[in-house]
Amino acid sequence: MTEKTLVGAAAGDDPTEGLRAVRALRDLADRLETLQVERARGLGWSWQEVADALGVSKQAVHKKHGRRI
Amino acid sequence: MFESFTKEARGAVVDAQQVATGLRSATIDTRHLLVALAEGEGPAASGLGAAGLDPADVAGRARTAISEGEALDADALAAVGVDLDEVRRRTDEVFGTGALDRAGAKHGRRGRHVPFTDDAKKALELALREAIRLKAKGIDSTHLLLGVVRADCPGGRVLEAALHDAGGDLPALRTAVERAGRAA
Repeated sequence: MTEKTLVGAAAGDDPTEGLRAVRALRDLADRLETLQVERARGLGWSWQEVADALGVSKQAVHKKHGRRI
Repeated sequence: MFESFTKEARGAVVDAQQVATGLRSATIDTRHLLVALAEGEGPAASGLGAAGLDPADVAGRARTAISEGEALDADALAAVGVDLDEVRRRTDEVFGTGALDRAGAKHGRRGRHVPFTDDAKKALELALREAIRLKAKGIDSTHLLLGVVRADCPGGRVLEAALHDAGGDLPALRTAVERAGRAA
């Protein structure tokens, strides 16, 4: 698959390519979230502060990240 | 189905579970099984050696594959204007080299039962079939390894990559492992 045919995929009209791009973005976002949350906690942020920054509940962020930090 | 396993093969399955616990994996897949087989003392490790592979290298590759998780889809990201190399450069800088790959590993909760993935179950079934095909008395570690080789699975892909780099191929590996099994 060339880059050219994929251009605009997430917003494009082919569901296969569009969904693939969405999945790739979600995967990347999840990893960045993991790294950022770990770092914030390491810097002394509370779960509430992390949750507020992510726009989710404290319970949600603790459930998702509490086990690895 | 474990009653037809040899003591040594049962040990390999227990070792795979310990590998998963050690790496805090959420599931046990064929890569964990491959680590256990390659790091074990059984005929499966001898078979890998006879096929021109270094069992320690195979185990190391499998461990790396587990801790890195699935690869990110760089092409799909480029298509929506995200330069993965640039993202990686920045995360390496802030979080340490390889942080983005490590963040992709799936972690389980401590102390929770770690289940086998469907492809690992499939590999165990294929091991049984291999043992029957080879008219063996029980399922030993060589049959488990042949099961991993036959299943379309992450562990098999680690083996393929190792074989590719060592200049070998799957048919030769199968032959070497079968021979190691008969010699055991």
